[in-house]
Amino acid sequence: MENAVAKARLNSGLTAGQLRWTRHLVGTAAFLLVWQAVGFTLGAGILAPPSAVLPEFVAMWGDERLPGIIAGSLQQMLLGYALACAVGMPLGIAMGRLPALGFLLHPWLSMLIVTSIASLVPLFILAVGSGFEFRVLVIFTSAVFYVTMVSYDGARQIERRWLDIGRCFSASRVQQFVKIMLPASFPYLLTAARIGLGQSLRGMVVAELFVIVGIGGLIHDAGQEISTARYFALLMLLMMLAWAANELLRWAGWRLAPWYESSRRLT
Amino acid sequence: MIAARTRRALLYMASIVGGLAAWEFAAQGVSRIVVAPPSAVAVSLFDGVSSGRIPQAFAASLGHMVPGLAIAFVIALPLSLALGRSRTVADYLDPVLSALYAIPPVAFVPIIIVWCGFDFGARVTLVALMSFFEMLFTFSAGARNIPPGLIDVGRSFSARRFSLIRSVMLPSMLPFVLTGFRLGVIRAIHGMIVAELFFRAVNLGQIMKRDAAHFDSAGVLAIIVVLAAFGLATNESLKTLEWKMLSQKHA
Repeated sequence: MENAVAKARLNSGLTAGQLRWTRHLVGTAAFLLVWQAVGFTLGAGILAPPSAVLPEFVAMWGDERLPGIIAGSLQQMLLGYALACAVGMPLGIAMGRLPALGFLLHPWLSMLIVTSIASLVPLFILAVGSGFEFRVLVIFTSAVFYVTMVSYDGARQIERRWLDIGRCFSASRVQQFVKIMLPASFPYLLTAARIGLGQSLRGMVVAELFVIVGIGGLIHDAGQEISTARYFALLMLLMMLAWAANELLRWAGWRLAPWYESSRRLT
Repeated sequence: MIAARTRRALLYMASIVGGLAAWEFAAQGVSRIVVAPPSAVAVSLFDGVSSGRIPQAFAASLGHMVPGLAIAFVIALPLSLALGRSRTVADYLDPVLSALYAIPPVAFVPIIIVWCGFDFGARVTLVALMSFFEMLFTFSAGARNIPPGLIDVGRSFSARRFSLIRSVMLPSMLPFVLTGFRLGVIRAIHGMIVAELFFRAVNLGQIMKRDAAHFDSAGVLAIIVVLAAFGLATNESLKTLEWKMLSQKHA
């Protein structure tokens, strides 16, 4: 394999990085070409080709309601996500550091984490209706168990000697928590934040497709149209939002704690 | 050892009993439409199971979960070998795969309706789509982590590509395959219920939607309990299987 890379380099005069990017581009272009060919053959009713989706992606911004709808969806997502982090991170750390609490809550946590959020949606509608609270609740629930679980794992791996040092300097419980436990579990908290964000986005789409509002509502409506161009344009938008959110968190993690390598792909 | 185990089992029981008691107590204060107490859920669950309604619906749900999962597995395994063993293939495919993975799978529901309709085909497709990426990424991490020495040994015995894959690569990536499969199964269970709620409401999804329409939260919770118990049981038993197979391998 190394030989092949070296050979390709000799032949093309590209560095390894350039070769990689060339392949990324070629792979993406090939995907778009196949999509174009298949879409062109089947027609826009079944699979709109990129040549129809890209103009649609530009044209849909002509609708002045779109930025408002996106902002509304993101607002709810961020609120649910922030709540999930605010509850899940301290809870996870507390579970990891207080064995009794860990034992009491862990069985429920491991049960809830494998439960599909979609299955809770009918119950949530009964409980809070289908408005703002509903969507925030679905997003919160999508993320909170993952955030708690990863924070719990993070708190359990804190090295004993760090806590011992804190005790030697007679740090109070609050000081131990803020000055030792939080920084020590930072890489895990960052992972928790990223997994939680991905889950929040999934939760947002589940909630919005179920009650047909926001971006999810637009996606649902676009699915009813004769041409699928609008639908794929919205899918592109969703993909860009997911990508941007992920990059933002990676950047934030790097700014907050540049000494931790946080760019690994964790799902 | 035994004492520690008994203690853990006791704590587990205490957690379940305590949680149920807290739930029962909390449910007293609110309307039964919103949250039914566990005692009412137990009654509803018992009725559903003894009348055969829940087992029947559950079996029918598995009828589209299993094929969806199988399709995803059969595509993910060879593709993960290609991705994990060849830098070139990974370079070509990575951007497209990551882009597709970034899209929340439920967003594909409208296009699946256009392509496959509302019924069996659509449900199988959604389950396959939801379980595919977890398996693909975990499997290919396994393929990347095969010790090069093992492959060299295979090569020096002039093993052909197929036997190299079968007798060296697959056994070596087994831990990752097991973990990926477990994650895939959990996602497939999610896909199973999502499909029943977002396409035509059938099986368990139909029971949930009907009970919700009748403001019967005990009925809805009974199905949630079934799904949660199924997810937990599958997860734990596959974990145990992983652990057993791996400890056997290294013994």
